Amino acid sequence: MIARAAIAVLALASAGAAAQVLDFSADEVRAVLRHGPWPPAFVPDPSNRVSGQSEAIELGERLFFEPRLSREGRFSCASCHVPGLAFQDGRAQGLGRTELDRNTPSLLNVRLNRWFGWDGAGDSLWAQSVRPITDRREMDSSASQVAALLREDPEYACRYRRLFGEPRDAPDQAMLVAAAKSLAAFQETLLSGRSAFDEFRDALGRGDRLAAARYPIPAQRGLRLFLGRGACTACHLGAAFTNGEFHDIGIPFFLREGGVDPGRHGGIRQLQASPLNLLARQSDDRTGAAAIKTRHVALEHRNFGEFKVPGLRNVALTAPYMHNGRIATLAQVVRHYSELDLDRLHADGEAILKPLRLSREESADLVAFLESLSERASASPRRRPIAPCRG
Amino acid sequence: MRAWLVTLLVSLPAWGAELPIFDAHVHYSHDAWESLPPKEAIALLRQAGVKRALVSSSGDDGQQRLFAEAPDLVLPSLRPYRSRGEISTWVRDDSVPPYLEERLKKYRYVALGEFHLYGADADLPVPRRMVQLAKQHQLFLHAHSDVDAVERIFRQDPGARVLWAHSGFERPEIVRGMLRKHRNLWCDLAFRSEHGSGGKVAPEWRAAFLEFPDRFMVGTDTFTPERWHYIAEHAQWSRRWLSDLPAEVAERIAWKNGELLFGSLLRR
Repeated sequence: MIARAAIAVLALASAGAAAQVLDFSADEVRAVLRHGPWPPAFVPDPSNRVSGQSEAIELGERLFFEPRLSREGRFSCASCHVPGLAFQDGRAQGLGRTELDRNTPSLLNVRLNRWFGWDGAGDSLWAQSVRPITDRREMDSSASQVAALLREDPEYACRYRRLFGEPRDAPDQAMLVAAAKSLAAFQETLLSGRSAFDEFRDALGRGDRLAAARYPIPAQRGLRLFLGRGACTACHLGAAFTNGEFHDIGIPFFLREGGVDPGRHGGIRQLQASPLNLLARQSDDRTGAAAIKTRHVALEHRNFGEFKVPGLRNVALTAPYMHNGRIATLAQVVRHYSELDLDRLHADGEAILKPLRLSREESADLVAFLESLSERASASPRRRPIAPCRG
Repeated sequence: MRAWLVTLLVSLPAWGAELPIFDAHVHYSHDAWESLPPKEAIALLRQAGVKRALVSSSGDDGQQRLFAEAPDLVLPSLRPYRSRGEISTWVRDDSVPPYLEERLKKYRYVALGEFHLYGADADLPVPRRMVQLAKQHQLFLHAHSDVDAVERIFRQDPGARVLWAHSGFERPEIVRGMLRKHRNLWCDLAFRSEHGSGGKVAPEWRAAFLEFPDRFMVGTDTFTPERWHYIAEHAQWSRRWLSDLPAEVAERIAWKNGELLFGSLLRR
């Protein structure tokens, strides 16, 4: 047990109160530092020529809240990716025109993904942004409907013209892709703010133990578990706390109406068949470097039932959890790993996964650490005023 | 290489699409019974074009239920596990041999396994007794094992017949070496993808399949109930890469090897 007396605790006097920092080893400090810095520098998406452009971000923001992107004018992107709910919906499984099979992921930090969606069927944020617009279960729209909106609404037509050229001359499909690239440019701005963990991490890095001591001891103990015995960093690594890849962690993947969700296996098949993947001409990356991952992704049996490792920033604000939202609380997520059902895993599959057998105190510490990764202001952002287009 | 191989070095993509499949690695364990009753499970196998399946379950009732539903399709194999939780404990569990003996008296099987057995554990009393039982009842051993454990099994019984699950997840040159060394060793290719990725047979695997066309089989490995819904996908995937081999070799690996080895064992 982490809290036992064998672990030395450094007590620091701070304004009369006893503040403490666990005696993290040099290796542990290095491991902590690898989860930052935060926020990360912005790197434009080479496959999206309007990535990072302020006018594209403004157009994308308008489109994000635009119900006329949906067939019946009832749904916008924000209907499921609710700004006040960390850009997810708080439901176990999403609800579009019908109930969906998967949990709606938060869009905060979405630009840091390597693959998009629980199954990674998208290899770019803009291609992924097309999917819910045209999916019959979600917005059920079409290239022609999106193109008509962009041509006929003067505000959109003006903004489209400034970014992509004259809308009257553009094919419908190209306009859908342009809308998606603008949506992606907006989503790239959705970043979670600095958390208590980030303050601790930076303080530890500069040797400021007084500042580090503001980080609660249960969170510090949970962090030590996360890095050490829990081996959580095998998958939840880096500043975003994810390796961006896909794993089977023993979560059942039957569907309510029968059959199964093939997860990454289906995602790879969709990706390879998609006319919008990075190997296709809609990508703006002329070097071909962005498409290397897509060219080399290989379909394997192990992919069946694998789902993406989610980032953990703001994780306390994005319940319920897992690809199908079947786990309601962070405490239950920790219990899942503590009591992992090895019957659900292949003997030669996810070798890293073993039941953690955590005590009640250790489980609480791990939850305290996970909660410390959250920051509430970014989960409820205010919409920025956008001036009308002057073309 | 046999003469018939030399004359049949032509891929058969159209023909390959119709290949029947002998699935050498199917489990139907307790959690599968609840979500997928025997009739539905058998229907999935038939829809996938599976001609025969080597089926084991934890506990043993699973494949017996399937066998009762489709004796023409199901070839029962007896695992030394009453639940899958015993994967890592069975080798030291003295209650396993009496359990196996009791089931062997009561039911007919073609194999013992699939069991997980590694290294020196193969020489522990419980696995030793299992190898003796296989010999006594003339059964195959379906071993999810490393090279060391397979070698130890053959030292215990040089006449043992071993189906090497996942071919030990070994590289093809190691697999070929083992096949050269042990004439009673056969290989299943379950839960590995690299030999047929993208529908093309990798050169080092092609060499193995052409050298030992009568020693390989395909298998899905339904280690969770959801994976029963992958049987058809796996069969199609197998047909694709098998079509990249000479027809006679493809047919052997797809189903003839399994049929030849196991097909008549229940009629003894």
